[in-house]
Amino acid sequence: MAVITDIADAVTAELNSDDFGITFTAQRLYQPLFELADMKDLHVTVVPRGVAIHSGGRSHNHHDYQIDVAVQKKFDSESPVELDPLMDLVQAVADHFRLQRLSSYPDAMWLKTENVPIYAQEHMEQLRQFTSIITFTFRVAR
Amino acid sequence: MVDLLEQGSNWLQAQRHLHASRTVTYQRGAETVDLQATIGKTVFEIDNGYGISEKTESRDFLIRTADLVLTGQQVLPQRGDRIRETQGATTFVYEVMAPGKEPHYRYSDPYRQTLRIHTKHIDTQGV
Repeated sequence: MAVITDIADAVTAELNSDDFGITFTAQRLYQPLFELADMKDLHVTVVPRGVAIHSGGRSHNHHDYQIDVAVQKKFDSESPVELDPLMDLVQAVADHFRLQRLSSYPDAMWLKTENVPIYAQEHMEQLRQFTSIITFTFRVAR
Repeated sequence: MVDLLEQGSNWLQAQRHLHASRTVTYQRGAETVDLQATIGKTVFEIDNGYGISEKTESRDFLIRTADLVLTGQQVLPQRGDRIRETQGATTFVYEVMAPGKEPHYRYSDPYRQTLRIHTKHIDTQGV
């Protein structure tokens, strides 16, 4: 299997095995397409994003694999009571992988986390849905 | 002077209301009102910013502007309001919204007698 899908699976497995304070089941998908009616339940989706290859040494390269983790939920009211726990979850997920190697794919070492924008304003305005995408970069030397 | 176009339009809106509508429940927070609505649709074509055009279909509810009264005041639709439509034992819940920068409602006639409210299906209850 492709390394990036192995890494995405390892990310998914860690998300499902650890406690983040909110119950969810992460799933790896190629296309995170959902019906709005299904979004009343929290969705955590792992999607392979891209890879950049840099020279590492005479015998190997650095492969920087980007993995997106999307946290999505349709809310009833745009209130902190409902949205703050989702922001907490985003931070917990972002913090979880920091400075770590993936448990089930230890060749992949965390390199970078990006969460820009923190949440999608257009989803909030148009769909009344919270969408936050965390992009992790994991480095594999091979 | 009588505006024949306005008279004709109003008559048509009245016929639509009388003969081509069903009862739905309009909801904003805890406030609700039952009113007659005609079901329609709008296909929006939105540029996603990457040169690709995306088509989105909304379910539209056409209601008389004067019927949308909540807490004793005539109001206009707001994003996030909900419309509950019951068919048999099933209630379909729609939320007022529109894609992109499209308005979430518009007047259906030049004389502001009828509102066309754009919605998306968000829940099904009682299945």
